[in-house]
Amino acid sequence: MAYEKVEVYSPRSLAEALEILSQKKEQIKPVAGGTDVMVMLKDGALKEKELLNLSYIPELSYIKEKENHILIGATTKYREIRRSPIINAYAPILIEAVRQIGSPQIQNLGTIGGNLGTASPAGDSIPPLYVLNAKVKLQKVGSAREVHIDKFFLGPRKTVREADELITEISVDKMEPGSYYFFEKLGLRSANAISIVNAAGILSLENKTIKYLRLSLGAVAPTVIRATEAEEEAKGKELTEDLIERIAKLASEATRPISDIRGTAEYRKKATYGIVYEALYKILKGYGKKIEYGFEKIS
Amino acid sequence: MITETISKYSYINKSIPRIDSIDKVAGSLLYLTDLKLENALYAYTFRSKVAHGKINAIYTEDAEKVNGVKAVLTYKDIPAMNGYGAIVPEIPVLAYDKVRYYGEPLALVAAETQEAALEALNRIKVDITPLPVVRSIDEALDENAPKIHEKGNIARHTVVRKGDVEKARSSAYIVLERIYETPMQKHMFLEPEGGVAFVDEEGVINVLAGGQTPYRDRIQISRVLGIPPEKIRVKNTPTGGAFGGKDDITVQIHLALLAYKTKRPVKLVWSREESGIAGFHRTASKIKLRTSVDRNGYLLSNEATIYLDSGAYQSFGPTILDVSIETINGPYRIPNYVIDANLVYTNNGIASAFRGFGAPESNFAIESMMNELADELKLDPIDLRLKNILKTGEVGPFDNKIRHAEGLEEALKRAKELFYRPDPTGPFQRTGVGIAVAVKGVGFGTLPEYPTAAIEIVPEGRVNIMFSNVDYGQGINTGNAQLVAEKLQIPVSQINVLHSDTKFAPDTGGSSASRSTFNAGNALLLACEKALSELKMEAASYFMTKSDLVTYKDGYFYFKDKGVSIYELAKRLRLKGKSTRFEATLEVPRYAEAVEGTLEVPHMVYMYGVIITKVVVDELLGKIKPREVDFIADIGNVINPAIAAGQIEGGIIQGLGYSLIEELNYDKDGKPLNINYTTYVVPVISDSPLINVEFIKSYEELGPFGAKGVGEISIIPVGASVADAVTDAIGKRSYKLPLLPWRII
Repeated sequence: MAYEKVEVYSPRSLAEALEILSQKKEQIKPVAGGTDVMVMLKDGALKEKELLNLSYIPELSYIKEKENHILIGATTKYREIRRSPIINAYAPILIEAVRQIGSPQIQNLGTIGGNLGTASPAGDSIPPLYVLNAKVKLQKVGSAREVHIDKFFLGPRKTVREADELITEISVDKMEPGSYYFFEKLGLRSANAISIVNAAGILSLENKTIKYLRLSLGAVAPTVIRATEAEEEAKGKELTEDLIERIAKLASEATRPISDIRGTAEYRKKATYGIVYEALYKILKGYGKKIEYGFEKIS
Repeated sequence: MITETISKYSYINKSIPRIDSIDKVAGSLLYLTDLKLENALYAYTFRSKVAHGKINAIYTEDAEKVNGVKAVLTYKDIPAMNGYGAIVPEIPVLAYDKVRYYGEPLALVAAETQEAALEALNRIKVDITPLPVVRSIDEALDENAPKIHEKGNIARHTVVRKGDVEKARSSAYIVLERIYETPMQKHMFLEPEGGVAFVDEEGVINVLAGGQTPYRDRIQISRVLGIPPEKIRVKNTPTGGAFGGKDDITVQIHLALLAYKTKRPVKLVWSREESGIAGFHRTASKIKLRTSVDRNGYLLSNEATIYLDSGAYQSFGPTILDVSIETINGPYRIPNYVIDANLVYTNNGIASAFRGFGAPESNFAIESMMNELADELKLDPIDLRLKNILKTGEVGPFDNKIRHAEGLEEALKRAKELFYRPDPTGPFQRTGVGIAVAVKGVGFGTLPEYPTAAIEIVPEGRVNIMFSNVDYGQGINTGNAQLVAEKLQIPVSQINVLHSDTKFAPDTGGSSASRSTFNAGNALLLACEKALSELKMEAASYFMTKSDLVTYKDGYFYFKDKGVSIYELAKRLRLKGKSTRFEATLEVPRYAEAVEGTLEVPHMVYMYGVIITKVVVDELLGKIKPREVDFIADIGNVINPAIAAGQIEGGIIQGLGYSLIEELNYDKDGKPLNINYTTYVVPVISDSPLINVEFIKSYEELGPFGAKGVGEISIIPVGASVADAVTDAIGKRSYKLPLLPWRII
């Protein structure tokens, strides 16, 4: 209804931010784009009375290559990811997902670190991070650690981040040239929708045989999940309609959805099957998206 | 596609730009909720967190102690009647004995600062004994259901019948019995309910708030405050969207009460969430139909049991029920029928007017029934309709002589050319086509209406036109200006609209029931005639001749080779101390008596529409994508084709939301779950299909230059046509809106 009074700290460097966090710990809420936090604040759902504004720390916003990885600063905005030539070349699945987040207004403000910090099981940037083997860097005064995305989330809105730690960087694997990928999102409308189900996949084919499939599913369990049984089933097999059906079924079985106003649990299971089936079917029929890059092509 | 046909008119049948569009496009228009009055208090509403309960006490002492708080008002502070409601004034201004829905107002707070007002809000305590909550029509009808009102849970019950349904049914070839359900829909106007109020130097309480019917607002305020209407001014313009949701009182009485008590300017604007919780919505419906048809496809009988969920109180419930009665037989010749119509109380907020006003609910039932009957008869659904539509001059179901139904027949014939299933678009994508027909009366039917409008010839070179209907986005200011321009043969640029303000505009009624063009337009034309006749005499005096020798053309009166402009004549009138303002009242044509048990059945003038919807259904995901919609409308002569088409398109998209995704939900305790744009999902522009609007050439002699009305017709048949298209695509029929994906697969 109206804004509660909050104290806002706007540090100008990471060191300063970490210092504040080390003192305030759970009393302060880190915020970057504010597309989630401001809504919580307005709804009176924010327990913290202080905000740590990360918008004035340029060293937290970047996209760069490092060997076989891409490093993304935590406060990098969705818009910057969408426009990044590096992401476009080596991890286009992330662009596929980010361009479907909210609206241009949200994309202009929202950050990838913020999406991780909010830890919604329906967060659209998260499934691609699972299949890109992302690692989340958590920093505090004097130390840093890296957590694999599989281990980062504990449940809806819960992560392993300690109160004195800050999400500072996400590193992802570059995708293999020639691999297929998809991010599919099912919402009640074509834009500005919260996902009922979303799915991200990378499929690497050698001739017609599947080298590997990485498949992650969102909004169908307390956290985003990897459909590991489905991935195992795919490995080393030829991509056929029969196999696609088995994969989609295993993916559906891997889910533990809830019923809410955006969909029933039963429907989410059916839709998981459908979304995975249709995505792989597109690849089978030759109109899937494929990543093409590599220095050999540049000359 | 809007085609401008060659027209004999100079200023109508033309898609001129809307006269109020520049400020809106530039974002410079100040809506009433944008107004900042000097020295204004901030007002907030204290609302019940219990959906149904007995009020034992309301404690305001702590709240009053907050520094800067100027008023904390409860039911005890209401000077006269504690009730409002457009039809039955039974809605408490502030709840006193019971609360009947989650969010019902219990107290009002006004303070010097937002902080103080919110602090006071936090300090109000209530003692309410919760009662069991009634959440649906079925629960309300249960014999053990808790009584929401003393008289029980049926607010209104009407039975209308004709012929002998049993006999007709027994001889029928096919009898189908089905139950149809439609959801509560929120208006989701961009500007939430709100405004400002102040007492001026003359002691008049000025209420400037988004609304649709300023004079009725004024009466409702007057009854609560116990002061005469002349001491109250209501201004409703500009309003940022309404769709019926601002037709009854929202903030107006609360604002007036606060200004009256504090003698200070007050601002009260509901948050989006308050609008979601306490704003109005469309009645949910449950309609049982048993319809019979003979071997040749002629309808024999229709038995309808209609239940509409009025929510906690009646607002427009009784007249919404009337329109549902009037439209449950469609535009068809049905010799035998029984309509058992019920308005039901629940603890679901308050249902009120919403574009279509009971017609979309009934239309979903009867048009779905027609499509299923066509299937059963193995008859083309358009042919089935062509067999059964009432023709011009025939006597309708309510003993009403049908005027001008030829447009509907023409529209159906045109629909034949557009009715085909589109090609599939890819794997798992099934396509389908569906059709439905809509009929809706213009205005208030048999309810007496005497709209008054005025024009003023201003010597400085413009014509003010004055009416109380509100242009909240639908474009009536432009349409009415075009009508006056046509009548006076002067450019639209010389016309200035003063509307929707009891200070300047006479009582033309409000913007509702697709009536503003018909009623305000007609009344304005009468006022123009008055002006021309008076000015003609003045011209005769100017020319020193007799008035029957004076002619009129393009803003000038002529005698022989001499001419004088209406503005020059107005100057002469002014010098003589005569008024240059001309007012006229229209007696709206209507039938003398209402069908027993109803207030406004039947109407005299009907709009018609035929819709064809083409969809793509993802068979694995159950997701429905409307791809193309054709709408063929008979709305009478079209004053501004672009604006009219905009109305049709807007209604279609709002109807697609209603058909596919929109549904207001309550939890087990009666608390609304989806109350903002994140959780209550409405379509966005990328959800819009390709829309083709076509107008049948038509002329209704009773309307201004042949016009009828347009606002509601397109939303009405969308649900049935979408459900029909989905049936065509996947072979499974649906009887419940919205067609959410989990109801499809």
